[in-house]
Amino acid sequence: MSNKEEEYKEIFLAEALENFEEINRLLTVLEKSRSDKNTVHALFRITHTLKGNAAGMGYTGIAEMAHVLEDLFGEVREGKIILDESLFGSLFKAADTLGALVNSVRDGKEVKYKGIKTKLEVIVKRANEDKVKEVIEEKQENPVGLETSVQSPFVPEAIGVGNQPSDEEESESPDESDNKLSFSDLVQVPVRKLDNLLNLVGELIIEKDRILASRAASGLQGSNEYARLSRISSDLQYSVMDVRLVQVGFLFNKFHRVVRDAATIEKKNVVLKLEGTDTEIDRNVLQVISDSLIHIVRNSVGHGIESPEERLAASKPKEGTVWLTARGETDAVIIEIKDDGKGLNYDRIKSKAIAKGLVTEEDVSRMTTDELSLLIFEPGFSTMDQVTAIAGRGVGMDVVRKTLDTIGGEIKVISEPGVGTTIQLTLPSSMAVKSCLLFELKDEVYAIPLAYTESVISLYRSDIHKAGGGLVASHLGKNISIVFLKDVFDYDPTVIGQSNNALQKTHDLVHPEEKLDIVVVSFNNRTVGFVVDKLLQQKEIVEKPLMKPVDKIKFIGGVTILGSGNVCLVLNVPFILHFIFSLSSHGRASKNFSLN
Amino acid sequence: MAEVTASKQTENNTQRTLQIVVFKLGQEEYGLRIDQIKEVVITPNITKMPQTPHYVKGVANIRGNVIAIFDLEERFNLQRTETQLSGKRYTLVVESEDLKMGLLVNEVPNTISVNANDLDESVGIIADANAEVNYIKGIIKTGERLIILIDIFKVVDQELTTNLKKATAA
Repeated sequence: MSNKEEEYKEIFLAEALENFEEINRLLTVLEKSRSDKNTVHALFRITHTLKGNAAGMGYTGIAEMAHVLEDLFGEVREGKIILDESLFGSLFKAADTLGALVNSVRDGKEVKYKGIKTKLEVIVKRANEDKVKEVIEEKQENPVGLETSVQSPFVPEAIGVGNQPSDEEESESPDESDNKLSFSDLVQVPVRKLDNLLNLVGELIIEKDRILASRAASGLQGSNEYARLSRISSDLQYSVMDVRLVQVGFLFNKFHRVVRDAATIEKKNVVLKLEGTDTEIDRNVLQVISDSLIHIVRNSVGHGIESPEERLAASKPKEGTVWLTARGETDAVIIEIKDDGKGLNYDRIKSKAIAKGLVTEEDVSRMTTDELSLLIFEPGFSTMDQVTAIAGRGVGMDVVRKTLDTIGGEIKVISEPGVGTTIQLTLPSSMAVKSCLLFELKDEVYAIPLAYTESVISLYRSDIHKAGGGLVASHLGKNISIVFLKDVFDYDPTVIGQSNNALQKTHDLVHPEEKLDIVVVSFNNRTVGFVVDKLLQQKEIVEKPLMKPVDKIKFIGGVTILGSGNVCLVLNVPFILHFIFSLSSHGRASKNFSLN
Repeated sequence: MAEVTASKQTENNTQRTLQIVVFKLGQEEYGLRIDQIKEVVITPNITKMPQTPHYVKGVANIRGNVIAIFDLEERFNLQRTETQLSGKRYTLVVESEDLKMGLLVNEVPNTISVNANDLDESVGIIADANAEVNYIKGIIKTGERLIILIDIFKVVDQELTTNLKKATAA
């Protein structure tokens, strides 16, 4: 646990130092061109960020200092404070103090900052008062300030008593860190470089596999010589993957604002609670899902949480709550977006889906609540009759689904009327390495990610029956659809009218007594058995994306290179399932009878 | 013939020479500008891809990069001799800024330098009716040889994208 805190601290320090340097740079720029609004804006933003970060970490000194600077630049921005020579003196002093404060986080030295802080506070306060007063009064005040400084020779200690109440304290504070240049312990690396590194590691692993395979083939087995190579390369791989991991907290923390804004527009009272913010996930996964997460959270606020009046009527607390939680599992990270709102209205979903032509009335009566819930992710679906600014126009939730499909994430919706809705996203913790099952089809080797495979079964062809336009078999008391993968790959969309039996072609050619290897895959409540030619072993693979121009082949999600040097295609299971089911629904639409 | 008009057009770049990589497809010689070529390798094992046009042979691993392999003879529907059918032994790796792929050839291609004058870009070739863009850049005549200069990225780009779109639209 303390390890995590250390890491946070390091990151904070790196950012704070960067902010500090940026403040210094901007101040020098501003000193030269005082009317530069952009610089003032930039300073305002940076101090604001620093304040937020410091407050989050509990460094009150830095937070207070940054706060007063933020206020000051805010006033400058409004034109209420005119920048002059003496103000710059104070500003630079303040920046130095801020730097010293940041450094004190590391070395624990005590830094006095109250003096300069109060001084700036007075400036800000005065600017605010000025705004109320007449212009004339402001003019009067200036001579007063002058007077005090004229009188000062008599009482040297009392210089500027009016605006610098705690002068003595301040005089000691700066200087120490003035001329020291500080370096952060963190190195910022572009993600591109990390991707490259991971690619190289991937190639190393492939090469290692190749060497091991060729040794095994030549009969020289059991030697320890390559054990070290194996160990080092897999250690290297995990280290590089570890570098790419970030804590979900970095993303989650941005949602306070998202929820606040959404709630304000919807005129609802909503608080956000975060859990499991230290769960780690691949940075790329986080980046891919961030927009989707925003969408889901806005939906929870917009559609899930009721208005304060409704909540009180339902004897719930006036304030709605949205939880964002994350937890890690062996190969996946689960992110849940939970609200304590009214829950999904299944009747509304049913009627809406029928009205939109997404399903037929007959289908609906047979669908489970899980299946009904997933309807909200269909394109063009929106249960709100009125389109609100927040929750969009029925676009979006289907985009969420698509985004998750691309990275192999799964969505599950759990809803209880009157209690709330939970949307559960199961995400791969790393996109680079996948456990896969290798199989052979038409003399080529394919890989199917284990994340999608449920089981592997073996059936006689006579166990597989034609039903409608597809095939079914019962396995362990459950009826599952069976598809010859060959038929899917050979499917020719340009031939019209074949869609009805295209998925039964191979079935007719196979001898009834032949035993068939079947991989059962499931994704988002859709389960299908793929008939393959031959099952091979299970393997950890490093997946590479397809290159142009074949990157448009959606059946294949990526490729990997096997120990033999041959290319192995990795199936894009979500797309294949989507394809199969869209085929069957096409058939249904045209012939007006239903499958299954 | 169109040569009369062509020679006028090319007059202004008389002294330029062009480096052309020449390879045989069917009975004809085809050429590519040398800057589009990355390397020539012995054809590795090719893995077939589903849902691709027949002239896309699949993908192969060439120096750690997985690239798509094309058979231009099938693409252009050219007649083949016995030896050509027996196996494509070499792969010509071509590369542009955002595209990298392999072309199957029967023998090691040779490089020739031709005078820019010999390139006739304005030949009125009866274009493939289906092709939206004409991929034939011109005809090179040197001595007895006639070389068809093509822009390989135009060949692939346009129709592969349309073909694949059709395949995935369903």
